Amino acid sequence: MAEKKRIELMVCTGTGCFAGGAYQIIDELKKELELFGLKEEVTVVATGCNGFCGQGPLMVVLPDNIFYGWLETKDIHHLVEEHFLKGRPVKKLMFIPPEQKEPLPLISDIPFFKKQLLIVLRNKGIIDPEKITDYIARDGYLAISKVLSSMNPIDVVNEILKSGLRGRGGAGFPTGRKWQVASQQSKSPKYLIANCDEGDPGAYMDRSVLESDPHSVIEGMTIAGYAIGSTNGFIYVRTEYPLAIKRMRIAIEQAQEYGLLGKNILGTNFNFEIEIREGSGAFVCGEETSLIHSIEGNIPEPRQRPPFPAQEGLWGCPTVINNVETLANVPVIISRGADWFSNIGTETSKGTKIFSLVGKINNTGLIEVPMGITLREVVYEIGGGIPKDKKFKAVQTGGPSGGCIPAELLDSPIDFESLQKAGSMMGSGGMIVMDEDTCVVDVAKFFIQFTNDESCGKCVSCRDGSDALLEVLTRISNGEGMDGDVEFLTELAESVKDASMCGLGQTLPNPVLSTIRYFKEEYEAHIKEKRCPALVCRNLIEYYIDPNKCVGCLLCIKTCPTEAIKGESKHIHIIDQEKCSKCGQCMEVCPPKISAILKITGKDINNMVQLTELISCKEWKKEHEPAHS
Amino acid sequence: MFENITNGKIGSALVVGGGIGGMQAALDLAESGIKVYLVDNKPSIGGVMAQLDKTFPTNDCAMCTMAPRLVEIGRHKDIEKITYSEIESIIGKPGNFKVQLKKKPRYVDEKKCTGCGACVSNCPTRNSVQLIEKEKVALQPQYVEKVTSIINKHRNRKGPLMPILQEVNAAYNYFPENVLKYISQEIDYPLSHITRVATFYSSFSLKPIGKYTLNVCMGTACYVRGSGILLEQFSEKLNVKVGETTEDHLYTLKAVRCIGCCGLAPVATIGESVYGKLQAKDISGIIEKKKNEAVEYAKVNN
Repeated sequence: MAEKKRIELMVCTGTGCFAGGAYQIIDELKKELELFGLKEEVTVVATGCNGFCGQGPLMVVLPDNIFYGWLETKDIHHLVEEHFLKGRPVKKLMFIPPEQKEPLPLISDIPFFKKQLLIVLRNKGIIDPEKITDYIARDGYLAISKVLSSMNPIDVVNEILKSGLRGRGGAGFPTGRKWQVASQQSKSPKYLIANCDEGDPGAYMDRSVLESDPHSVIEGMTIAGYAIGSTNGFIYVRTEYPLAIKRMRIAIEQAQEYGLLGKNILGTNFNFEIEIREGSGAFVCGEETSLIHSIEGNIPEPRQRPPFPAQEGLWGCPTVINNVETLANVPVIISRGADWFSNIGTETSKGTKIFSLVGKINNTGLIEVPMGITLREVVYEIGGGIPKDKKFKAVQTGGPSGGCIPAELLDSPIDFESLQKAGSMMGSGGMIVMDEDTCVVDVAKFFIQFTNDESCGKCVSCRDGSDALLEVLTRISNGEGMDGDVEFLTELAESVKDASMCGLGQTLPNPVLSTIRYFKEEYEAHIKEKRCPALVCRNLIEYYIDPNKCVGCLLCIKTCPTEAIKGESKHIHIIDQEKCSKCGQCMEVCPPKISAILKITGKDINNMVQLTELISCKEWKKEHEPAHS
Repeated sequence: MFENITNGKIGSALVVGGGIGGMQAALDLAESGIKVYLVDNKPSIGGVMAQLDKTFPTNDCAMCTMAPRLVEIGRHKDIEKITYSEIESIIGKPGNFKVQLKKKPRYVDEKKCTGCGACVSNCPTRNSVQLIEKEKVALQPQYVEKVTSIINKHRNRKGPLMPILQEVNAAYNYFPENVLKYISQEIDYPLSHITRVATFYSSFSLKPIGKYTLNVCMGTACYVRGSGILLEQFSEKLNVKVGETTEDHLYTLKAVRCIGCCGLAPVATIGESVYGKLQAKDISGIIEKKKNEAVEYAKVNN
């Protein structure tokens, strides 16, 4: 094991920070440290996802626990000199809470981290995911040695049953029960599959677990394999996650080297192998029977259950399929005991859940919170509220299978049952915050478009039902909605739910149903008034230049891709609505001080002064100013 | 149509094809008093329906639908079955034409045969397997080394198809038709099966795609931050539709599901580079920059 250095720099190299240039930061850090002769004292570690992706690229300085965000290569020289040489932490790179002046140096003081409870992500940002020794130093692989030395498979199953752990993939089926069924099957071989086909848009929990702490998944899988009597494990990862696949591959090799995977694990006669299988971009493969078909090399369509995979799964053998997050919980439960685990959370939902908090929110990132926490705490305390002081509208959980939860329900707790009651679901853990600028019809349309694309086409209700839903939603957002459309959507959604075979079809109408339930008036506004209150639906909005504000600077004219804006210097510009493609670029370039371009909808369109001829700004002022004052 | 026919029901009709449709047509015509010739190129009438157990969408039993019609045709005095025959030529015009048929030999006297089946069970060559020899698929020289090594690497594992397809896809960015045929022959999976799998996943393609794949993320976070507009802009600037490849084979434009950089929304990726917090005005710059890189690259390599 590497000797302890004076300072450790934990630089996040999760995909978000990676994209932001984390490796350039690392190179620069190494260069500067060498320059200052600090190479022996300070070490740079590339860690997995830290979670606070909105601040990336970022790093945490150990052992002082100082957090630096939004790093740029040009800051590094200054940072190394000031902090690591002279011992004066650099304030300007620290996290400053919105609307406050003083930075918060310590990571533990930052509200984003304060409210979290880390079980699955216990090692995130603290260990180097490509070094098994780091994981072992944090008590890794203790659980498997406890299991192999002092527990029967039945004890393990009972322990998990007692802990109340439920599947983190979405439906929340008790993990212990699944294991129990599989362990009772007489047929062999048995298989274990870790499901990391995380297809929900806006969700990346599983990827982060694999990227920041792959060994916890390997240990969890090995324990599960022991409990159900399986010697072959597969981990099914989306091919879109190359970094996760690479780190998992390294982790498996290292575990094999250390005798923690393979034949005779830890000197016992228990054998367990793990093979990585990649998905190739089909959402339906996250469904367990499809996933099995995909590994087998068959067409990944779901099949009727029962028989459940725990009875008849991969190649007809008993197969347990657990989500990556579920499996990462297992080692902790074993080492700290089921009682400790079942004390966290609510009556029916135990433990913690990872969410990816994204969308219109100040602190985007990955969070792990105890079950039962309220949505308000998540959005306002951890998430730091909505940017630009906009109004909170809804939070979408559960991905395309979930629903929107409106502001009225902000104080309801987050657990499997409460979310379901609200018309949504836990899902794999995407949490997308929407503000007043988000149109619910558009969001429902987006999700149905997604599921319509991803429907495998086996069941008519899902394949054609999503088509029909999409058609009506498109009609509504185009301003061609008709009376009775909302009722029709509801009826159709219910029948799609009833008639589909797998989870995809059964839950795809949820976004429609939940938005209708909570935001019916917005649908009505689209249908009856031809108005999009959030100013999103293109056919219902117009861009308009306010003659009282326009100074005739020509900026928007130069930018407009369709040449829809006419005007001259110092003359009020006019948008030709026929030509306008409603791309919104003019609004982007109009200087914020002037902000003369407005988005309007509904009746406002006819109420605005329509200029037909060019008029100079001066003249307009002369004519209109006195009337205003 | 029948302008030559002046006084009602004369002449006769020809029904081509003795499937369920042809049978019903023949019966309807015969019931209205027209002499019908029912022609089929198979030894017996019945067509595809005779091979089915149930029919869509009502799940009715196929034989129950068909059997009464078979019997009726057999009995009807105005229907003459001409089976095992093919039409050679038709001369004339609608309503007044002559048909020449070619009747294939049966080597059995139809008038005497009772259909007892004894000849079938006693035929000496009946039980020998008659397989049509498949043509061996040969790979084009540029594929041979790579493809055979991929196949050999995986052929002995359980469920070899996906790993093979993934590696071939990684090597060529698409599946050349011949390569798929070759895989089918080597691992003994039906080509239809392989094609179905290959067209199911969104990261596979049967058409060549560009040097760079330009993925615009359509995840929820990106979408609410305006990636839909970005996609349109890309499509306009590159002059291709989503899913198509530019003429110079440099870019393939794709809309993808969440790539998990929601903190940077809206996001697009080109090859390995990720562009976060993208705005419509940045687009031209990005496209040009990559194009120049490719030109430079080509220069250096030539």
